[in-house]
Amino acid sequence: MNVLELEGVSRQFGGLRAVDGVTLSIGTGITALIGPNGAGKTTLFNLMSGLLPVSSGRIRFRGQDITGLPAHRRAKLGMARTLQIKQVFAGLTVLENTWIAARQRHRPLDPFRRASDDRATRAAAEAALETMGLEAMAGRQAGSLAYGDIALLEIAMALATQPALLLLDEPVCGMSPSETERTVARIRAVSATTDVVIVEHDMDVVFGLADRVVVLAEGRVLADGPPAVIAREPAVREAYLGEDEEAA
Amino acid sequence: MNVLSVNRALTLLLLLALVAAPLFLGWMEVDFWLAVMTEILIWGLFASSANLLFGQVGLLSFGQALYFGFGMYGVAIGIDRFGLGLWPAMGLGVAASLGMAAVAGLVAVRLTWHYFAIITVVFSLIFYFLALRLKPITGGDDGLSFSAPPILDWGSLRLTLSDDATQYWFVLLIVVLAFALQARLRASALGRAFAAVREGERKASLLGIDVLRVRWIAFVIAGGLAGLAGALFALFGRYASATHMYYTVSGEAVVWTVLGGAGTLLGPAIGAALLILVREELSTVWEHYPLAVGALTIAVVVFAPRGIAGGWNLMLARVLGR
Repeated sequence: MNVLELEGVSRQFGGLRAVDGVTLSIGTGITALIGPNGAGKTTLFNLMSGLLPVSSGRIRFRGQDITGLPAHRRAKLGMARTLQIKQVFAGLTVLENTWIAARQRHRPLDPFRRASDDRATRAAAEAALETMGLEAMAGRQAGSLAYGDIALLEIAMALATQPALLLLDEPVCGMSPSETERTVARIRAVSATTDVVIVEHDMDVVFGLADRVVVLAEGRVLADGPPAVIAREPAVREAYLGEDEEAA
Repeated sequence: MNVLSVNRALTLLLLLALVAAPLFLGWMEVDFWLAVMTEILIWGLFASSANLLFGQVGLLSFGQALYFGFGMYGVAIGIDRFGLGLWPAMGLGVAASLGMAAVAGLVAVRLTWHYFAIITVVFSLIFYFLALRLKPITGGDDGLSFSAPPILDWGSLRLTLSDDATQYWFVLLIVVLAFALQARLRASALGRAFAAVREGERKASLLGIDVLRVRWIAFVIAGGLAGLAGALFALFGRYASATHMYYTVSGEAVVWTVLGGAGTLLGPAIGAALLILVREELSTVWEHYPLAVGALTIAVVVFAPRGIAGGWNLMLARVLGR
């Protein structure tokens, strides 16, 4: 069974159809979503994660219809997502950030027990930090981290919820080449146990990482296939990769 | 030694000083300060209600006086109309404020920032005017007066509010318990959910936090704290009136919170204490003393944006070298 299925999903903003009848099954491994600016990638992510309601169409997650569910209910079902503009809880420590994420599966609103007594959640929070290589920064205030580390922390928070599907919105945007390399390796490691959908503009990352590439243009699926096939597709080169040729 | 342990030790010292205050003031023959201190404790608790919303969840309420008023009227009506004892009447006051907050919260928590602030003011204005109009229930302009039942009446052991020191210790006990409850709340999973919603609601919802529900829970707890303060204030004055439901009273709680340090546990009470002391000292010699209060508040906001308690914590961290 495919983890996520979109069926004729559309989203309209006034007269603009930002996402226009997208039918897509997300299976195992890493799926990359690419397309020129304004193609509807982030809007599609917002529809998948529930930050925006669909105008029409249905979405199923692990066999369950989630079309009408708000973001927090989808998260509880096992969908995690990072944001294009990186967001962490800046005023809290790094460990508190992943702690909050990890705690959401077990009595998240308990007003009585001390959070510091919850060893299981702490262990899960620390494990998520380790996965992203942030364990040395556990006690630091999240807002004081370097940009690249904030992006890694956001992924660690998503992982701490133990998701079945991880949606990453431009995870390496703004990172240095060495940070990018590190992050790509970690995403690859994560994809062994979690299905991943990634929106990314860095084509080296996309073609190095993805098992499958879906090309969006003007809110529609333009092409869909293995990276090697997509790279040769003339329509894709024209709509998207062609921009690079003109620039060069 | 770190900031936390220093603050813990200071809090313990403060608690001891507060417990011993009636004896000390009696010895100094300045008993009238006891009434001022009782009032400070009550307003400090009231300020903590605004702080729970603003400092912990990031919702700026200008309507906490509404729940304060429900607490007051709950006590006054419970004692005067239903003939309840002191504890059941307090229970009625707190339950009334919790109930009102539960209903108002359903609407209010869907809004944020100025929209949230405005809706909280609107609610409190509606009930302020209602309280003025519904004379048979609330006493209208005159308010409701009553004589306070005993705190405890076990044969030979009889504690009443008519003894100033007993009244002070009674208020101190309730206020300390209410702050202890808030300290526990901060340290709990719910407290961390509050912080997550304050720091980034979109992120919080993507992690599985039901933001509206968390805000609603905070709103109800804050309403209960304000109601408890109102119940104590009614017992302290043997009186309930609509004037304490007016939104300017809510505004004072916000000023005390910001001045004392939003988000800190004791900051709001420190702010309340400071400004009430300024009022007590200055109002007798200078009728325009609110000008000084305003200047002081502006100075703190400019030079110590985290308030007195926040500034203290920063300074302490620097002195202790982290």
